[in-house]
Amino acid sequence: MPSPEMLKLAEERAARYRAAIELKEPDRVPFTGMGGDVVAAYAGISSYEYCFDPEKSLQAIIKYLKDFPSDRPIGGMSGIGNAITQLAFLDYPDLTGLFAMVDGPTNDILGVDYIRFPGREVDEYSSPQFIGAEYMKADEYDELIADPVKFLFEKIVPRTTRNLRDLGSPAALATMARFGMHKARSGAFMQKQAAELLKLGYKSEPASFFLAPLDFISDNLRDTVNLVKDLRRYPDKVKAAAEALLEPMLKLALLGKNIGADMAFIPLHLNEYLSPKLYNEFYWPTLKEGILRMLQEGMKSQVFFEGWHDAHMESVLELPAGWGVGYFEKTDVRKAKKILKGHTCIMGGIDVGMVIASTPAKLDEYIKELLGEMMPGGGFILSPNIGNLPRETPIENIAAVYEAVEKYGKY
Amino acid sequence: MREQLLKSFVDMDEQEAVRIARELVDTDGGAVAVLDTCKEAMEEVGRLFEAGEYFLSELIAAGDMFNQIMEFTLPKLQGDEVTSIGTMVLGTVQGDVHNIGKDIFKVMAEASGINVIDIGIDVPHEKFVEAIKEHKPELVGMCCLITLGVDSMKRTIEVIREAGLRDDIKIIIGGGRVSQAVMEHVGADAWADDAARGVRLSKELLGKE
Ligand code: B12
Repeated sequence: MPSPEMLKLAEERAARYRAAIELKEPDRVPFTGMGGDVVAAYAGISSYEYCFDPEKSLQAIIKYLKDFPSDRPIGGMSGIGNAITQLAFLDYPDLTGLFAMVDGPTNDILGVDYIRFPGREVDEYSSPQFIGAEYMKADEYDELIADPVKFLFEKIVPRTTRNLRDLGSPAALATMARFGMHKARSGAFMQKQAAELLKLGYKSEPASFFLAPLDFISDNLRDTVNLVKDLRRYPDKVKAAAEALLEPMLKLALLGKNIGADMAFIPLHLNEYLSPKLYNEFYWPTLKEGILRMLQEGMKSQVFFEGWHDAHMESVLELPAGWGVGYFEKTDVRKAKKILKGHTCIMGGIDVGMVIASTPAKLDEYIKELLGEMMPGGGFILSPNIGNLPRETPIENIAAVYEAVEKYGKY
Repeated sequence: MREQLLKSFVDMDEQEAVRIARELVDTDGGAVAVLDTCKEAMEEVGRLFEAGEYFLSELIAAGDMFNQIMEFTLPKLQGDEVTSIGTMVLGTVQGDVHNIGKDIFKVMAEASGINVIDIGIDVPHEKFVEAIKEHKPELVGMCCLITLGVDSMKRTIEVIREAGLRDDIKIIIGGGRVSQAVMEHVGADAWADDAARGVRLSKELLGKE
């Protein structure tokens, strides 16, 4: 059982986070912490062990979080999202959630071609990987548009998933049965993990997931470069496909309400690629609609504006104030604050390249300056611009960042 | 016709650009004209990109047009009509499979007259060494988009040094994870996280500009 102090700590941490999202000044700047491959390295285990041995991975997380506490920590990477299969099983809400994350053992069972695991398809010390490919041909847009869920189930799941190639075969049925057995085991372990983390003062915070429909097509079906070319070659079809995917994607995200999620994570990929003209015509309308519809249903969004988002900043202002969190990667959070202050909670700020390559003294100075500019007025969550510190990250640099946050993070 | 080609290329009118190039290439001295015009167009596209008027969507389209046109133009050129200002071995480092940025940079570097030997993605350290021994380039370009790749670049450069090849080459790094700090950390000579700047710096490293 967690002690009353730890329960109180968990509440404080959650409240800090909430205050920032509500654009207020909390007692301290909320800090996500910095996780990634370094969590496994810090415990002396390989990424393979981290992905395939839940007990070892839990011990690694506990060790890391004891030494590096934060408000809502990101652990190491132990799985890869699998939106294709989730959407394919959209009409079976008790199952869709199970497909959300493919962990190591799950991938042994399903055999997803676009996922690679350490100690399996890549070496023991790499992180798990998503490898896109062209799984849908340009002449299949019509089929996708006509019935996305059916198309994904009948065409794309067999193409992408080795052990479900022949959907009606005994092999496929056996795969599904094994999948169910594994999920029952891992579900029980997740509960144990949540209980252990609560003992350290961390509440588990269920989150939902939404993809901009065009990103789903680009990452999972057509491949990025093809999609960018499709925009010029088959503009109407691409637009219709994005529209057709909006409802299924929304339905998927809103299923998260059943597990108590009140925030949807939305990582953006094509934003950096598109000129404002293409962005506003093809990408933003279905993304915006998704964010607004979720908001109506009580679910805010945390949008990860990957790459450079500078050219599209003004469009964020089309959302109502307090819509959620804008998490920035390359776009300078200071610049984001100038444009979005009082409207959007800003997240990010710590350049991971610096944490890898700089020195403790420089990092102290860097965090001090950053917080000095970003904290006033509230509505800011401090986090690394990328959620994965590599194994070789110098521990003294990590410690320097946490110490600096402790020193300079009080309101 | 050259002006029309230049204009339709820079304006991203793919069909028109390819059509004019096809026509021009069969005229007297046409192949050289097409090559030069397309290089000029790519340079202009790069400038517009650096100025924030063009985006990756345009760089991809331009690269695609350039490749399409070169496919029927290069075979019509005499050997001495294709001059190169230097050779670069280019690859995405071990552990990283992102290729789009590297491919964009490659076309733009080629269009600027650099002979690029593309050794692919997820390239093991030793493969860089082998390629340097085989092609004797003046430049080595490394692309890295994931944090894991930073250490990979560092080790690759160490392995190149151990092989006694470091002093023969200049190393430029590119991709989303590079910065001045990362450049110093891994021991490269230059860095660029946009292709136009990368081409400019590569030319400087070659002493051309
Ligand atoms: C598209 C994309 C993908 C596609 C890749 C498609 C492909 N074939 O390349 C897919 C979906 C497959 C993918 C997979 C993954 N991705 Co990815 N991806 C992206 C994304 C959205 C864009 C990358 C990109 O293409 N940018 C555009 C190009 C043109 O930019 P660029 O490479 O910097 O190139 C420019 C310049 O740098 C320069 N340049 C490029 N190369 C060179 C070389 C030289 C020598 C020079 C001088 C210049 C130069 O020219 C280019 C034009 O200006 C980024 C986020 C982002 N927006 O940056 C994430 C991102 C790079 N991916 C990320 C991750 C984590 C992954 C995965 C590991 C995910 C996973 N967990 O499985 C896997 C990769 C597995 C692996 N081992 O590599 C992270 C990296 C985080 C980290 N750890 O550091 C990012 C930053 C997303 C994020 N914010 O979390 N990804």
